Amino acid sequence: MDEGRAYIETGILEQYVTGQLTARERYEVEAMAAKDPEVKQEITSIELTLEKYAMVAARNPREILKDEILHKILTKPLEAKSDKIMQKIEPAIIPLHDNVYEAKIRKLYIALAACVALLAITIIALLSTRGELGEAKNEIIALNLDKQKFATEASYLKENNTDLQEKNKIVSDPDWKTVKLAGTKMDPQANMIVYWHPAGRHVMVDNSKMQLPANDQDHQYQLWALVNGKPVDLGVFDVKADSTQILLKMKEIAGAQAFAVTLEKRGGNVGPTMDQMIVMGAVGI
Amino acid sequence: MTNNRKISLPEDELVNALKSQNTIAMHALYDMYSAALFGIISRIIPQIEVAEDLLQETFIKIWNSADGYDPAKGRLFTWMMNIARNIAIDKLRSKDYRNTEKNQDIENNVDFIDAQKEVTFNADTLGIKEMVNGLKPELIAVLDMVYFKGYTHVEAAEELNLPLGTIKTRVRMAIIELRKRFN
Repeated sequence: MDEGRAYIETGILEQYVTGQLTARERYEVEAMAAKDPEVKQEITSIELTLEKYAMVAARNPREILKDEILHKILTKPLEAKSDKIMQKIEPAIIPLHDNVYEAKIRKLYIALAACVALLAITIIALLSTRGELGEAKNEIIALNLDKQKFATEASYLKENNTDLQEKNKIVSDPDWKTVKLAGTKMDPQANMIVYWHPAGRHVMVDNSKMQLPANDQDHQYQLWALVNGKPVDLGVFDVKADSTQILLKMKEIAGAQAFAVTLEKRGGNVGPTMDQMIVMGAVGI
Repeated sequence: MTNNRKISLPEDELVNALKSQNTIAMHALYDMYSAALFGIISRIIPQIEVAEDLLQETFIKIWNSADGYDPAKGRLFTWMMNIARNIAIDKLRSKDYRNTEKNQDIENNVDFIDAQKEVTFNADTLGIKEMVNGLKPELIAVLDMVYFKGYTHVEAAEELNLPLGTIKTRVRMAIIELRKRFN
């Protein structure tokens, strides 16, 4: 009751009857009227008041008009029917200037639609670009890995190549002596080659011709020169399955009658452990 | 079709006849409401010939759109009144009408004014004066703008240089005053 009264007090019902409301507002009022008999009653009362007011303010058109109009309407039923489909009218507010607003609103709608379309295109483009970017990143990572592999391989080949060239020089140079070391009874299968340049005092071990068992973490092979019956330390080396270097440079020595290798503790020993001698070879003349 | 006897029907019978496209409905509608509708139309479009054409257009539309009238939403007259008002306003803002108006300014106005006098006024000016006598003129003026001349509240507010709320209040007050008077 109070709600209906308050609704009536807003004056919206007068606006409803005088055709001032939008379609949406009209539906609201109609829903309210259907729900609340007091509202419905008030609408009818306003209508009757304005109806009477319109009657008081009425102006008679010329008498002749009645026949003209009724004749026109009632003798053209076919046209009337087709008109009916075309013109389902809804009483509505028709502001004098709504054409301008409608045009503006239409323009804004078009602009809005264009913006939405542009946004959608941008998002799609962005997503596909992102996908491509991810692929490109993966490719770059793969290429980088390849590059590293090739670089490693190249440096390995380069090292190998340098060693091979040097070895080639050594072998063909008469100043270099090639000393073959043969296996002792500790390992008769073992053998290796030492290149020695007496004038330049250089000593090299040929890794590619090395036939020694691989040493473990605690031990290393130690090369000795026998100078007038005494062993001189020429340094230690490792034998590994995956050794990349071909030539190992050892300590210098000017004169030697023989070379020998013993297996010593890691870092080498002051003197050779005789029962650990694995290969030995005399310098040929 | 010449029938000088005026027909009048109760509202529900009238609505039924109109919806079933019974020709008696048009006779009754015309007899009962043509003057009231013409009163609205001719207040928006003062040129009598044009206003008469619009009255015809209004009745054609009432006849053709009878299906669209829902008695649950309001009285038949309110519905017809809105049709008449909308047709008149459409005319008012149409290009061809604006051009005619300009031409009339240029032409000799005497003929036009004479033509207007042909209308038999339904003692209306008198009737209204009696009716609104004693009512606050500022209330009636706003109601007339909105109800008879088809101004929207916004347009009336601009025209009278008043706040929108004041327009709404005055329309409501005017109707309340009229209601008291009719009762």
